Amino acid sequence: MEGFLSTYGSAIVQMALAGVLALSLYLPLMAGQLSLASPGFYAVGGYVAALLSTRVFTGFPNGSYPILLIALEMVVAGGVSALFALIIGIPSLRLRGVYLALATIAFVEVLRVFALNQPWLGGAVGIYNIPQPFFSATRVEYLLLALPLLLVSTLFVARLERSRIGRAFVALREDELAASAMGIRPTYYKVLAFTIGAVLAGMTGALNAHILNTWNPRQGTFDLAILILAYVLVGGSRTFLGPVIGGAFLVALPEIILREVADAPGLHPAIATFLRDGRLILFGVLIAVSVFFFPYGLVTPNLFKRRRKTNVPRLEAAKAAPKVSRG
Amino acid sequence: MSDEVVLEVRNLTCRFGGLYAVDNVSFQVRRGEIFGLIGPNGAGKTTVFNLITGMTPPMHGEVFYKGVNITSKRPHEIAMLGIARTFQNIRLFGALTALENVMIARHIHTRSGMIEGVFGLPPAPQEERAIRQRAMELLELVGLADSAEMQARNFSYGDQRRLEIARALALEPELLLLDEPAAGMNQNEKSALSAFIRRVREQFNLTIVLIEHYVPLVMGLCDRIAVLNFGQLIALGAPEKVQNDPAVIEAYLGD
Ligand SMILES: Nc1ncnc2c1ncn2[C@@H]1O[C@H](COP(=O)(O)OP(=O)(O)O)[C@@H](O)[C@H]1O
Ligand SMILES: [Mg+2]
Repeated sequence: MEGFLSTYGSAIVQMALAGVLALSLYLPLMAGQLSLASPGFYAVGGYVAALLSTRVFTGFPNGSYPILLIALEMVVAGGVSALFALIIGIPSLRLRGVYLALATIAFVEVLRVFALNQPWLGGAVGIYNIPQPFFSATRVEYLLLALPLLLVSTLFVARLERSRIGRAFVALREDELAASAMGIRPTYYKVLAFTIGAVLAGMTGALNAHILNTWNPRQGTFDLAILILAYVLVGGSRTFLGPVIGGAFLVALPEIILREVADAPGLHPAIATFLRDGRLILFGVLIAVSVFFFPYGLVTPNLFKRRRKTNVPRLEAAKAAPKVSRG
Repeated sequence: MSDEVVLEVRNLTCRFGGLYAVDNVSFQVRRGEIFGLIGPNGAGKTTVFNLITGMTPPMHGEVFYKGVNITSKRPHEIAMLGIARTFQNIRLFGALTALENVMIARHIHTRSGMIEGVFGLPPAPQEERAIRQRAMELLELVGLADSAEMQARNFSYGDQRRLEIARALALEPELLLLDEPAAGMNQNEKSALSAFIRRVREQFNLTIVLIEHYVPLVMGLCDRIAVLNFGQLIALGAPEKVQNDPAVIEAYLGD
């Protein structure tokens, strides 16, 4: 266990953060909005934490930066991201489908170029020497912050899903026109879902700025948007568990699972090499295959419902069986 | 039926390209009335509903609800004022259960926000219990309580129509717009529906506007009827009167 943690500590932390980022994309999707803006808010959050910890909360010897200050930075980063979300969400959420995806990608790109050209953000080099609360090569201690962030975010979204607001989101996703005929204000709930997602992404960025020790315009770019989208699409886009499991799984797959398999004794050296070096290929194939065969992802709400159904007495079940299904 | 006018459309006109889907249509619907809107396919009936509910903006004309001009209001605002509708091409929340479909329609009668909902603070738990119960009652009313947990898209065509009515009733509307509620139903279901519509009008104090193709159903059920043809209002009045109107006979037998 010790060995495992020291080898894979940082991968485990990144599994947790991937789950939170996936939730940040899942939230607008819950309201029917395909937004790829999460990396933008993640970048903003990272810069907020980088600036606060290197310019404002100075004077702590490295290795003893207070965890509580990081938590505070995360809260500020979440707030700043929420402001950004309101500013760009209100005009852009009128767009639909691919157009919204493109507009949010443009936002991510504009932020990147902006950061690149701002001396106070460190330009291309970024902000480095972000203070550390721990002395540790693997940074597994960051689980102290990453796990609570994941747990709180997951619980928040899980509870939200079963509440009045969450149902309004889902109604918009299922049929915006019908939802508005039920008195649900589309713009308001779309912006709300988008903003909550932005808060999660911003907080994740703030934490990761400390974990990575440095923050620059290469954090939170288009590549990350595609990764996060894969977490949600592979994991599942119809229940909060999908993104969380998808994020953890897709980070673990190249970082842990394939490496462990490649190290297995007796494996043909060529296969082992492929597993180590070709793991991104496998990763891509896996995404393509799972999206093709599981359009709603691996974890779907029906997975839980079916189990419940089996407890229903037979007669009841027969009565509840679909009568005639319409095409 | 009182003389109070619940709904008035005035010179309503809507054009799609070169086609006048609704052409200078005016009528009034009185409180408690079951008002039929009939006419051949493509006559503009559904468009009239879309204009009333703010889903299509009119080119000319106005819509008044209880004396208030609602012409430029958004669909959700109109729903909040007390106008509910069903859709000809059923628009349920397909992936959700019947119960959830109806619960969603309690939105405007509940007020707990995100924080209350997530942390289970008042009034969220009480509201949740109340809307669940109310939704079950409405499912009971339309005879779908046994399948409350079934996904809406798995219901039969007729049951989906009934579920849409339950969902519309959950809004507690004063004015209910039903777009071809009997479509796809057999003879028995149609006459049952007729009785059902009368019953909900009494029970919920509703004013109902009904689009229907099936003439016997309309004739037996409606207090007054408006006939549209090529977007124009060609007759308006009591069923017997409209039935014998030469223009109506011409429109129905014309092609
Ligand atoms: N959104 C739209 N865009 C273009 N044409 C439309 C649209 N909606 C309806 N129409 C046209 O308007 C006419 C009236 O349609 P509709 O109101 O649906 O008729 P009805 O409900 O009486 O069958 C039809 O010719 C239809 O093709
Ligand atoms: Mg129609």
